[in-house]
Amino acid sequence: MSDINLEKIDDFRWRIPQSYKAGMRVPGIIYADEKLLKDIRQDKAMEQVANVAFLPGIVNASLAMPDIHWGYGFPIGGVAATDPENGGVVSPGGVGFDINCGVRLLKTNLDFEDIKGKLKELTCALFSDVPSGVGSKGDIRVSAREEKEILLKGSQWAVAQGYGTQDDLDCTEENGVLLGADPDAVSERAYERGKAQSGTLGSGNHFLEVQVIDQLYNRDACDALNLNLGQVTIMIHSGSRGFGYQVCEDYTRSMSQCLLKYNINIPDRQLASAPVNSEEGKAYLGAMKCAANYAWANRQCLMHLTRLSFERVFNTSWQKLGMFLIYDVAHNIAKMEKHIVNGKEKNLCIHRKGATRSLPPGHPALPDKYKKFGQPVIIPGDMGRNSYLLVGCERASETFFSACHGAGRVKSRTASARSVDIHTLLKDLESRGIIVKASGRATIVEEAPEAYKDVNDVVNVVHNAGLAKRVCRMRPLGVIKG
Amino acid sequence: MKNYEVFEHTADIGLRITGRDLKDLFVNAGLAIFQISSQKQFTRSKDHTEIKIKLKADNPEELFINWLNELLSLSSAKGLIFHRIKIKVIEDNFLEAIAVGSDIANYKVNTEIKAATYHELKLKQNETGWLAEVILDV
Repeated sequence: MSDINLEKIDDFRWRIPQSYKAGMRVPGIIYADEKLLKDIRQDKAMEQVANVAFLPGIVNASLAMPDIHWGYGFPIGGVAATDPENGGVVSPGGVGFDINCGVRLLKTNLDFEDIKGKLKELTCALFSDVPSGVGSKGDIRVSAREEKEILLKGSQWAVAQGYGTQDDLDCTEENGVLLGADPDAVSERAYERGKAQSGTLGSGNHFLEVQVIDQLYNRDACDALNLNLGQVTIMIHSGSRGFGYQVCEDYTRSMSQCLLKYNINIPDRQLASAPVNSEEGKAYLGAMKCAANYAWANRQCLMHLTRLSFERVFNTSWQKLGMFLIYDVAHNIAKMEKHIVNGKEKNLCIHRKGATRSLPPGHPALPDKYKKFGQPVIIPGDMGRNSYLLVGCERASETFFSACHGAGRVKSRTASARSVDIHTLLKDLESRGIIVKASGRATIVEEAPEAYKDVNDVVNVVHNAGLAKRVCRMRPLGVIKG
Repeated sequence: MKNYEVFEHTADIGLRITGRDLKDLFVNAGLAIFQISSQKQFTRSKDHTEIKIKLKADNPEELFINWLNELLSLSSAKGLIFHRIKIKVIEDNFLEAIAVGSDIANYKVNTEIKAATYHELKLKQNETGWLAEVILDV
């Protein structure tokens, strides 16, 4: 429970004053309304927002998106920009263990009516074709040489193997590859952990979901994206698996030594960091890029397997089914990006720990087809309620063009396991037309809708604060959980 | 009596572990991370793989986190669930141990623990022995 005295900026912005804790270099800003703040105050997330404000070189504020909740080091839903020219650091804890965990959204030209009789068959086919669960191994096996290629080329490796198209790359953040990945900065153990897991979904909150659009908010943007009510979409949520966990662990360990070396004073060792321009900072970014590329290749492979599954069930090609990628976004990542600070362009290290990039219309990093409306921002909710598609806005410049990444947990896994009866839950979901397949029952209970905030409330704040604008809403039909 | 318990954390898992001494604490913590995440179901394949572990650290807290992360990392890389641990030597900044694992295929794994974190880590001696609290990223 937190009793921090927040200053109200407006209905959707709250400030933790810099004076709250000696050592904060900037204030904290939390994007939330009164309702969400009640949940946010329940755990230690706000304290973590204040802790992030200690990072050397942090610019403007330690930011928290409305899905913020208690993490380790950074809060989940935290954004921090650091300026390398001003001693700015990079922190593996500001990215997290699941480096480039992210989501992608595909559209189809199928309507709900086309699939409602086949939903069970389709969900079972996806569950069997897409490897999920702890320790699952992918059917897409790669040699040691190929693994290095994946680390350097990300989704581009997958597309070169025939697991997708150029259009998929155009519709992926950074075109599915961060340049400057350094495979030599990666430990042998990380290679070992990553080898068997390409093309696997993972477990916990990772999922693959067949959805249907149930609400349109922006007709013009929907028309431009060819989206309509009743249309079927697919969402894939996964990351860099054991490879990324190992990179984070290796560098959290080695960066602990940097605190003394660079005289970095932080209140939580999980925020261990090193100057972006130091040898240690560069090595971490080189290794982190490898993990980010691994994750993009992984989601590209997962999408390929999904397309094959649909082809099998509907007996036609994925192109004829209109299974085109709308967009893929990372939500655990650190990237060098150009932003305007006090009227000057700066090259900043943007940490997004449970936050999504949200570029406005006209931004040069966007493909032509998204220049008019802005970057698609994909916000998954829980398995019982909704997910959203939004587009980036100019006002998000105040968050270094970032928005939230999901609904955000409100209940611990143990509390959820205590209060949720799996049979009642599955029956309730089934009565609402939702089929769930999971490797373990524990996951279903831990990921029950009541464990999450209502994504509708979270997206409401993002929309009203001007970080991204609602385009359409989806509801789940078939859910594959790891 | 169980030598560990799970405590509440919004997104992750908190684990409170006790031990008669530092060695006992490390053994109990090492086994607990597998006991809370997996259940043995079969003995279909290789059930006994011994792995030697040697670790160094600057202090006991770092040694504790490195120890748990080494076990999680080895478990994932080698496809093993560790069910027996013998610590041969333990000092404040060094340990030498043998972990015995069984093929992960013999288990039903419910939760993937990504890593042990330093966030709110506690490691202390009390009147009855040692106590640790650690938050695991899941």
